[in-house]
Amino acid sequence: MIGTVLISLIMASLTSWFTQINDQLLLLINSVAGRSYMFDSIVAFFLDNDLAKAGVIGGCFLAAWYGGKTLESTNARRRILITTLVAAVCVITTTKVLSKTIFLPRPEIQTQKIYRLEGEELVEMKRMPVRTMLDEESQKDHRALLSGDIDPNDLGSFPSDHAGFFIAISLGIFLASRRLGLLAIGWSVFVILGGKMISGQHTPLDVAAGAAVAIAELALVQFVLRKRFRGWLDGLAGLTLRYSALSSAVVFLIAFEVSSTMIHIRAFLAFLAVMRRHVLLGMGS
Amino acid sequence: MKKFTIAFAVFACAFLTSCGVKKEGLVIMTDQSYKATMFATNKIGFGSPDGLLWHKGKLYFADEGGVALESWSRSEGLKKLVDAGFGFESPEDLVIDANDNIFFTDDDAGGLWEMTAEGKPRLVAGKDKGLISTEGIALAPDGSLLVGDGEVHKVFRVTRDGQVSEFLGAEYGITKPESMVYDDHGNLYIADNEDNVLYLLDPTQKLHRIIDRNNSFSPETIYFAKGSLYITDSRNNKLYVYTPGEELKTIAAFGGQLKNVQGVTVDEAGNIFVGVQVDLKHKVGDVIEISKEETQVAQR
Repeated sequence: MIGTVLISLIMASLTSWFTQINDQLLLLINSVAGRSYMFDSIVAFFLDNDLAKAGVIGGCFLAAWYGGKTLESTNARRRILITTLVAAVCVITTTKVLSKTIFLPRPEIQTQKIYRLEGEELVEMKRMPVRTMLDEESQKDHRALLSGDIDPNDLGSFPSDHAGFFIAISLGIFLASRRLGLLAIGWSVFVILGGKMISGQHTPLDVAAGAAVAIAELALVQFVLRKRFRGWLDGLAGLTLRYSALSSAVVFLIAFEVSSTMIHIRAFLAFLAVMRRHVLLGMGS
Repeated sequence: MKKFTIAFAVFACAFLTSCGVKKEGLVIMTDQSYKATMFATNKIGFGSPDGLLWHKGKLYFADEGGVALESWSRSEGLKKLVDAGFGFESPEDLVIDANDNIFFTDDDAGGLWEMTAEGKPRLVAGKDKGLISTEGIALAPDGSLLVGDGEVHKVFRVTRDGQVSEFLGAEYGITKPESMVYDDHGNLYIADNEDNVLYLLDPTQKLHRIIDRNNSFSPETIYFAKGSLYITDSRNNKLYVYTPGEELKTIAAFGGQLKNVQGVTVDEAGNIFVGVQVDLKHKVGDVIEISKEETQVAQR
């Protein structure tokens, strides 16, 4: 009994401590926003432009894919990168499922008056004094928020799917090639995820959770595929060498999708869902 | 490896508890002059209400999940007026006339149903008269009832004695007249949540497209009070207010388990009541009250 109470107390104080640190860190990072139009425009450019945001990661991936000095090292790199792609798909699925289950609006949304369902009561949440960036796109989004135009995706910010996806890919590149991996990790952390926090789209906790999912699932997938499916992995890596033209085309498409955070694949899956709904089930909108 | 697994599990638990992990609900007030409170939950006895109507100090429910017509008041609590035993399947929307007769539609069983002021239920006109899947309902100034049908894409006029005639044919192009209401000037507002358009039929029978923003607006239920039209949008999870001559204004956005907003009504004091179908299949629903902050009330 005493033990349970003690653990509850510790958990409660840990939670409160976590929340406070998270809020303070976010406000510290976000404090650079809304002061300089030039700075905010640069941050927004790297957040909004897929080529600038993820082109570097896609480039690192391709360089790691083709950069082996010997046949053996190329084969080893490709095994790691194929595994990384499998892990990245698992990570994005996990983060999407979690963010749809855990309702934690983006910090920029938390600037508004929000009521949260606690038990059977609606309780007003503490407002986050997040600064809005000065670039056109951020200002447009802010005006849309003030007029009630809220994207459902903005209601589930925990964990960050960007953090999960890019950390998983970057770590995979790191395992294949140290130098390229460091560049990819640095770009992911300082440019992509830093921008997400500066703009108030994610808290450090969202990013840390996304990264934790990425590390855990990448390790798990690497472990499982190497132990249980080593033969398949070797066969697949061998095929990419034997049919290099075809595999180059496929890798280009994959790198292209990585650079655009898989939006085209997601759009295609959404299209399939709509087709299933309308054609197979015969349901209207 | 075992220690690592335990550490990871504890870390994950701390993460999840710090974020209050469970299926949450949110109400985001985009009009800061309003506040939100939970008015009623399943605990008072209803299932998952669709249509809501405030009338003479009572809140009436077309309870789609509970398959019943119910009323609630502070003094009497929840009262079941009529249930599925009478033959309806899915109460959709309701109106009440000046004599307290309640009329309601049913999108599964079809027809127009009535619960008289004396407490007698009756089917005014059924499927046999062409009312296949009835949705929106409005009390016409001449005392007849207008009933929208989503299956045949028409609006019918139904007299009290059950005579059915076509009011707006398919040529008007209204696909699903989900909700209808008259304003003070005899204009009929029609919400089509299939084509995502809010129509206005003026007294000369001319149909106007008032709001047509396919990607961001889908009117579910409309209610006219004190010169403004209150609109719920179950696709974009919002509550709007539309005042003629002004822009459509969002009052609140809903998220999580509170996102499926359905019926809307307003009481004499201007408090807005919004029905939420949390889980229709399992008969779970809530009613949220959106009211002005105290300072705003004092100013009024």
